[in-house]
Amino acid sequence: MDWDQFDLNPKTVAALKKADIKSIKEILNFSEADLQRLMKLSSADIQCLLKTVSRTLRKNSMLTALQLYQDKDHLTSQHQKLSLGCSVLDNLLKGGIPLVGITELAGESSAGKTQISLQLCLCVQYPYEYGGLESGAVYICTEDAFPSKRLHQLIDQQHKLRADVPAEVIQKIKFGNSIFVEHAADIDTFHKCITKRLSLLLARGMVRLVVIDSIAALFRCEFGVSESVTKARYLQTFGAQLHSLSTRFRTPIMCINQVWYQNCCSFYRRVMMQSLVVGNRVAPALGITWANQLLMRLMASRVSWPGQASGVASHCTGSLRTLRVVFAPHLPPSSCYYTVQLEGVKGIK
Amino acid sequence: MQREVGSLPLAPALRARLAAAGFQTAQELLETGPCGLSKELGISKEEALEALQVVRQECHGDTARTARGSGATRKFTALELLEEEQAQGFIITFCSALDNMLGGGVQLTKITEICGAPGVGKTQLCMQLAVDVQIPECFGGVAGEAVFIDTEGSFMVDRVVDIAAACVQHCQLIAEAQREEDHLKALETFSVESILSHIYYFRCRDYVELLAQVYLLPEFLSEHSKVRLVVIDGIAFPFRHDFEDLSLRTRLLNGLAQQLIITANDHKSAVVLTNQMTTRIGQSQSTLVPALGESWGHAATVRLIFHWDNSQRLATLYKSPSQKEATIPYDITPRGFRDVQPPAVAPSADGTERNPRKRPRREEEKQ
Repeated sequence: MDWDQFDLNPKTVAALKKADIKSIKEILNFSEADLQRLMKLSSADIQCLLKTVSRTLRKNSMLTALQLYQDKDHLTSQHQKLSLGCSVLDNLLKGGIPLVGITELAGESSAGKTQISLQLCLCVQYPYEYGGLESGAVYICTEDAFPSKRLHQLIDQQHKLRADVPAEVIQKIKFGNSIFVEHAADIDTFHKCITKRLSLLLARGMVRLVVIDSIAALFRCEFGVSESVTKARYLQTFGAQLHSLSTRFRTPIMCINQVWYQNCCSFYRRVMMQSLVVGNRVAPALGITWANQLLMRLMASRVSWPGQASGVASHCTGSLRTLRVVFAPHLPPSSCYYTVQLEGVKGIK
Repeated sequence: MQREVGSLPLAPALRARLAAAGFQTAQELLETGPCGLSKELGISKEEALEALQVVRQECHGDTARTARGSGATRKFTALELLEEEQAQGFIITFCSALDNMLGGGVQLTKITEICGAPGVGKTQLCMQLAVDVQIPECFGGVAGEAVFIDTEGSFMVDRVVDIAAACVQHCQLIAEAQREEDHLKALETFSVESILSHIYYFRCRDYVELLAQVYLLPEFLSEHSKVRLVVIDGIAFPFRHDFEDLSLRTRLLNGLAQQLIITANDHKSAVVLTNQMTTRIGQSQSTLVPALGESWGHAATVRLIFHWDNSQRLATLYKSPSQKEATIPYDITPRGFRDVQPPAVAPSADGTERNPRKRPRREEEKQ
């Protein structure tokens, strides 16, 4: 760290170099008394150093909420979201998936989670005016093989799903080329994937969506109670790394999660579910440690009696499912129906 | 002038030398002069000059301070403190049950901590408070501004707009009902835009940025003297990973708490922090406890724990120096943080009351 470029007293700069302090992080990690002893400076000098260093780190960092609200630039605005490719689902989410933060999609098997994720991988490639981010996606598979046949089916049918987009725009996009599939079946491979491969793709601007299918599969083998600390640490580390990548590159991270059933759970799992079972018999897996990392949680489920919602099921061919907002800072708890058709996932009004 | 050498803000090495040479008060230092000082202590003349300058400034500052009667050396009686505390404003939350439980609302000059599981409403309350702190005095507010430090990225400005619009509407209804001069005047400057423009938003991506931001807070609050609320949402997120050495984390958190207490006091602002919950697995049972450890529990003056009971949200006052422990229900509506509406109320025309037996639907579907 070049201390000379800071607006500091030369005596302070000399003391910093002599004490071999190399970064702002180191300075802030020390207490004031420690700094005084280490650098042999008075308390006023240390105060001055702390203020100068903080000011440099936090230069130009203030915004008023009004500026946030009025920012319409698609590169920085909070109003910019990633569309799901269906206006009904977008309305449920007030625009789509937020660009900064980890969004979780939990649900039982065959509820449609992978279908929604594949659809997102295609939606992200559309231009900004059609709800996309003009970039590709990374799909990290942790258990099953990547459903490439289904992906090609969806690509072929894009013109049918996205009737709002002109045909020539759709034809120009080479959907298959911009989806990067990674396999990571265990924690170490996953860690390497996030820290090296993902940062590379994001830094080069080649992707603006990360899908992890699924996060629960990595932690599937029963971590005993004594290993709960290790497991929690992994979850927090992964969460923090994904969150940091999402913030740096303004890229939504979509994590697919499975569910635990209340009755057939070990004591440990029931404990983890404690705060998460709100009147349901299922709860998303991985407990509160993972839930703390999330910005938004969505739950996909199959409707038990397809004919229950009057008038809704009559015109749809596939079985009925619901997409529910469990929590989000900007959305009320709400839900809507959807079906999985040949061309993709479509909401039902 | 009779200030002891040990209490002067000089470098520790210099103080040690002064003590060894037999200097005891600031007066003696000033009488010796720079040449004599440099000879007796064996330091350079520049260092001696600097030291004397510091001493002179300190003594000057001391006399000025005792004359003004403010600062750390002032004495209070308990009665004066009581009167000052009672005159202190509260920031209302629009949930009367919660305000009553807290003794009026979120208190200024104190640190309030809100703990809870994800999705229970901590950020919602923070956004509500950032709007409510700006309510004009004639409507019962403190007419202040808010600083919002966001570490998780959960500050969604669209939601703040909804909350602000509902607050303005509420004040407009009061003004229409009471038809007083100052109410109408206050409403002229109380609008959604003005509310948004007085929420100062900072985004901190890791604990280093958070620490730096808190160091800069006193300066910022001096420049923006109308700020009456500082929100840090959430305090746990940057500190719960990346720390191999937990004692470093404890030390940093303690330092942070100290600075926030001083800031809250000096600038008469409320400090509101949100914390996560973690599971503590005991012998036969396990409990959800606030994160960041036992010692962090001492940082906040007031601690609220938000939790669920089936589908009802509850707030428990877990720690307070003056109020009784209690639990009250609350609701998060499209208009913000509110009381629970009793289900016996007949549904109004726009159907915003929620029947707890019905599956939640989107607002637009209730036609």
